[in-house]
Amino acid sequence: MTSYSASMWPAIEVARLTSERLPTLAESTSEQLMERYVDGEADAFEFLYRRVSPNLMGYLLRLTRNRERAEDLLQITFSKIHRARGSYLRGAPVLPWILAIARRSFLDERRSAHVRTEDLSPDGSLPERQNEAPPLPAELSDALEVALDRLPETYREAIVLTKITGLTVAEAATVLGATETAVKLRVHRGYNQLRKELEQYSRTP
Amino acid sequence: MSTPTPDPLADLPWPKPECPREEVSAAIRSACTKNLCPAQRMSAALRLTLCVAASSFVAAAGYWFGVSHGRSELGIRLGLYGAAAWAVLQAAVLFVGFGGPRRGRLPTRTLRLALAVGVPVLFLCYLTCSAWTYVPFDQFSHGARLSHALRCGSVALFFGALVSGAVLLAWRGTDPLTPRLSGALAGLIGGVGGALAVGIGCPSHEAWHLWVSHGLIIVALAGMGFAVGRRALAP
Repeated sequence: MTSYSASMWPAIEVARLTSERLPTLAESTSEQLMERYVDGEADAFEFLYRRVSPNLMGYLLRLTRNRERAEDLLQITFSKIHRARGSYLRGAPVLPWILAIARRSFLDERRSAHVRTEDLSPDGSLPERQNEAPPLPAELSDALEVALDRLPETYREAIVLTKITGLTVAEAATVLGATETAVKLRVHRGYNQLRKELEQYSRTP
Repeated sequence: MSTPTPDPLADLPWPKPECPREEVSAAIRSACTKNLCPAQRMSAALRLTLCVAASSFVAAAGYWFGVSHGRSELGIRLGLYGAAAWAVLQAAVLFVGFGGPRRGRLPTRTLRLALAVGVPVLFLCYLTCSAWTYVPFDQFSHGARLSHALRCGSVALFFGALVSGAVLLAWRGTDPLTPRLSGALAGLIGGVGGALAVGIGCPSHEAWHLWVSHGLIIVALAGMGFAVGRRALAP
């Protein structure tokens, strides 16, 4: 039988506590991680960030259609979360809360800067003349991205939240400040447009 | 028989969530965890207590005003009964509007919208029922009646703004989802509080006076709450 000297006990105890703590954080729900972050646990933020940031980034990317703006907004969103963490109500669903903050940040930024998503001409001065409807890429996944970009913002947001971010219709409705029926309608109409755009891919063998 | 066309959306390669660049993540981590300490937070119970305290304060002020201006005991008593009955509804609005979602449940937006519309309508009906006298509008809009209505309206607005301010302050930064609606509900709670407080102290039972000085304050404060809700309640 292995015998441990007395001097080893503190190290074993630390290892035991560490091995107990990590799975606890990993297995925690986002809401529990948020609560622990609010209570001052930096590790909980790390786990929460890893869990939430891909969804948030995907959402912001499709809102802004620009990686740099999306990353700026991601930083703004997290700084707002950090400042407002004391006002987080225990038990409130975290992802819709964070996505709503991100959406407000996007709308504020767009309103204040009057930013319009235009592709500039090579000298960077004028918007480039857009063709009527450039052909979709050959690869279906790329075509889907382009087709999503072509959707009106309301339809795109509803589809991104429900299909890519993985929210339920009720949660998406809360983030968008709309009724569930309105969100279902937006998703349905967006689907119809996507179906029209991607029709050719169903015909190709 | 023709074969059905396969649905191109049935099995779409939806884009996967994307990670930000590592330097962006590092900057966020550093900003959010540097000198991290437990955030100072008010519990929901404390927030509710603050709102109730503000409402009680203006009701006490209305009572004091009524007593010091020689209002009849019966009038004060009726005003207090009305205030007590409406306090229950105020508490319900406060609980539904601001109590926070229970785990796994989101606040019911439709219910809150119904409250925002229904409570002022109910309150105007209550005022109509409690009006004992009626003068035509052209008589109401002149002389002493108008100045009394303006005085009462100003006091009700002041009391209502105090309660609404307390509600907005107590729940500051807690609602990124529907801050305007929550702001309107805060205005509504304050408006009802202010109108009831003035109702305890005001001897008038004239219909126009009650509608204009006591009732429209609620609508005005709900509108103000809607206007400032986003700034005050969104993080």
